[in-house]
Amino acid sequence: MTWTRSKGRVGLLVLAMLTLVLSLAACGGGDDDGGDEGAADGVITINWGAEPPSLDPGLATDTTSSNVILNIMDPLVKLEGEELTPTPSLAESWDVEGATVTFHLRDDGQWTNGDPVTAEDFEWSWKRTISPELAADYAYQFFGIKGAAEYNGCEENCDALRDQVAVEAVDDLTLRVELTSDQPWFIQQAAHHSFLAVHRPTVEQFGEKWTEAGNIVTNGPFQLARWEHNANLDLVKWADWRNADDVALERINGRMITEGTTAVQAFEAGEVDEVGALGGLPPEELPRLKGLPEYEQTPSLGTYYYGINTENIPDVNQRRAMSLAIDRRTIIDNIAQADQLPATGFTPSGMPGYDTITPSSEWLPESGDIERAKELMEQVQNPVTDVTLVINDAPGHRDIAVAVQSMWAELGIETEIQQQEWAQFLESLGPPPARSTDAYRLGWIGDFVDAINFLELWTCDSGNNNTNWCNEEYDSLVEQARGTADEGERFDLYSQLEEVMFGPDGEVPIMPIYFYTNVSLQRESIKETYNQNLLDQIDLSEVVEE
Amino acid sequence: MTALVVRRLIWTIPVILLVIFLTFVLMRQIEGNPFRTSERAIPESIQRNLEEKYGLDRPWYVQYAKYVRGVFTGDLGPSLVLRNRDVNDIVREHFPVSLQLGGLAMLFALVVGIPLGMLSALRANTWFDYGAMFVSSVGFAIPSFLVATLLIYYFALQWGEYFPFPTSGWEGWESKVLPSIALGLGPMAYFARLTRGSMLETLQQDYIRTARAKGLRWRRVVVVHTLRNSLIPVVTAAGPILGFLITGSFIIEQIFAIPGIGRYYVTAVTGRDYSVVMGLTVLLALIVIVANLVVDILYGFLDPRTRDARA
Repeated sequence: MTWTRSKGRVGLLVLAMLTLVLSLAACGGGDDDGGDEGAADGVITINWGAEPPSLDPGLATDTTSSNVILNIMDPLVKLEGEELTPTPSLAESWDVEGATVTFHLRDDGQWTNGDPVTAEDFEWSWKRTISPELAADYAYQFFGIKGAAEYNGCEENCDALRDQVAVEAVDDLTLRVELTSDQPWFIQQAAHHSFLAVHRPTVEQFGEKWTEAGNIVTNGPFQLARWEHNANLDLVKWADWRNADDVALERINGRMITEGTTAVQAFEAGEVDEVGALGGLPPEELPRLKGLPEYEQTPSLGTYYYGINTENIPDVNQRRAMSLAIDRRTIIDNIAQADQLPATGFTPSGMPGYDTITPSSEWLPESGDIERAKELMEQVQNPVTDVTLVINDAPGHRDIAVAVQSMWAELGIETEIQQQEWAQFLESLGPPPARSTDAYRLGWIGDFVDAINFLELWTCDSGNNNTNWCNEEYDSLVEQARGTADEGERFDLYSQLEEVMFGPDGEVPIMPIYFYTNVSLQRESIKETYNQNLLDQIDLSEVVEE
Repeated sequence: MTALVVRRLIWTIPVILLVIFLTFVLMRQIEGNPFRTSERAIPESIQRNLEEKYGLDRPWYVQYAKYVRGVFTGDLGPSLVLRNRDVNDIVREHFPVSLQLGGLAMLFALVVGIPLGMLSALRANTWFDYGAMFVSSVGFAIPSFLVATLLIYYFALQWGEYFPFPTSGWEGWESKVLPSIALGLGPMAYFARLTRGSMLETLQQDYIRTARAKGLRWRRVVVVHTLRNSLIPVVTAAGPILGFLITGSFIIEQIFAIPGIGRYYVTAVTGRDYSVVMGLTVLLALIVIVANLVVDILYGFLDPRTRDARA
């Protein structure tokens, strides 16, 4: 018995229903302006990689936010060239006399609403970021300024303490800053997005919502045209910017594709012209992508390392042996795969003075030295053979940990890999680290271009020293370096610091593995000028579409 | 019916209070600090300023009371991590997207799943039936992230020139097709199997034979007598599934870069953004309550007996 009528109708019915679904899906248009392949109309589409958590220079802490902000705002100082030399931007010049720094502003700085940019804007903005009310994470960037830490930590008399913060607009175009000591890197640091000015009337009018697209007033080469959270953030050229004639791009459409595979597919489908610079490319795809003409790779100022809880593993020979056993070349070639450089010390290559500073440590051999590691291990009185290695649960870190686990196994060390979710992982790092933690993985990306930013991590009371390692000689060398204005002398001190950790008598509290690189796919029409610097910044005002 | 709705709405209040309480307790039990998002250490004074600003330095019951008051006055508080946004903004901007995505996926599941199940039942044990049930088994078994990846690979990239679909995003109808199918495929398969089974059972009933015997047109027998009665299990399942589709689309939102609320939910939990987690949990609890309420009302229409029993 069959209960059906015509067979053709079934197919028609399904087709009709599919059409219905599709047509119902058609709510809200939106023209497809991504990926104008070939047409050099000054419009490009890039992937920001993620939603910027904040476009407030005082509150932003991450690379994506920082990249957006530095393209829509005008910093006092800009870092140019491969060496990241401080170059005048909104400040046409500056004087440094010991601990006093004076910036002289250009007179044609302007906000997008027509107001001039003045030294008062900077004084107000910096004090706002330092203020306890804003509760900014990066307030500590200002702690090198006299009175800043006191104001930030104030319980009472906050207004009086605010007035004592040594940032002063002497006149409309002169900004004077007094530092707590000579800080030779301060000019470098002033290029950081925390040191930008914000437009006071806008901030006061809109409160926390001042960074939304309709509200924000900026003073840089681009303006925020659209910000649909977690979806699109588009910039347009600001025609009245002081150097607008030199800016080639008319518009940057920005997507927020967090999933690496989707981002690569969007690039291959021609929807975006750049992916990876801010958000990376999936390591498993790299072998294939490396063959493409659009593949680009640049060094980054960062070090991937394993730290040791020196209270649990006190014998220096065991730490040296563990470091010697790590085959950095294998990890880079087979797991990380982005042609990272094997670490030779903690200060990454590309850092000014790197050649002087790096210890080219015998404890950090590129391909490991298992024989020597075994010899050292035999000298250890009470070797720790059960090691708990704590990592955060991301596939890349796990793969490296598994490799290290097998490398340490050759020393007779049994490694238990403990994966933790990011927030929990940070808690267990301390400092001090959880008692059960013997080793951990972490990375450090530079905030500014001076090795102090890396080396001061390992002082006894540093909040980033998760090793329990404390060396007085090291601390006093850091103190000395902080007050040394002369670059050559300072680099020598940095080199001595590296020696304390990684020299022939080095204590090896950490085991650097590699120096980071940035990898991305860039349409060939922009590849020439789309450059990411050592601090992961992309200056879109210099990009030219050919 | 009105009494039922009113009673259920009143019950919502204690349920929400319980949800808030449990979420509050659970979130504080896990380790983590909402203000430390990167490996960089935060100086003590800054941590203190942040806790003061967001009231985390107060005793837990003060925080709890403040939060409950906020929920009932419609203020879900500021995000602790996204410093320029509050939870109300996030809900207002992103919930409609998830609602639309979930709705479209549900629509796809119903519009394809029910006819597929129906036709399979009417042609039970034919090649069509076997084929449809094979497809639905596969659709049910393959995880949505794989479906999503395959859909993007073939329909947006490999055969991209023949189809208008982009790889990702949520602008224009073209971008909404693949994610809706990826999300709706599992439920579609489920509805198809459910409809088929239920329909086969109904077709065995005496009243169907009676309807046939008294000479009713076949189409009428199928649509009015069989389908309507067969849909009760589908409707029962549809409520929770709709809730799940709206709230559980995190992976699809992530893969297709869709600005829905699921992405916020998961990142908020991993980032310990307490207020976002709380706000979204309350919202999702409400959705599940409403979806179940709608199902109960629909029962009344499909089966008048339940209407009398509950009123």
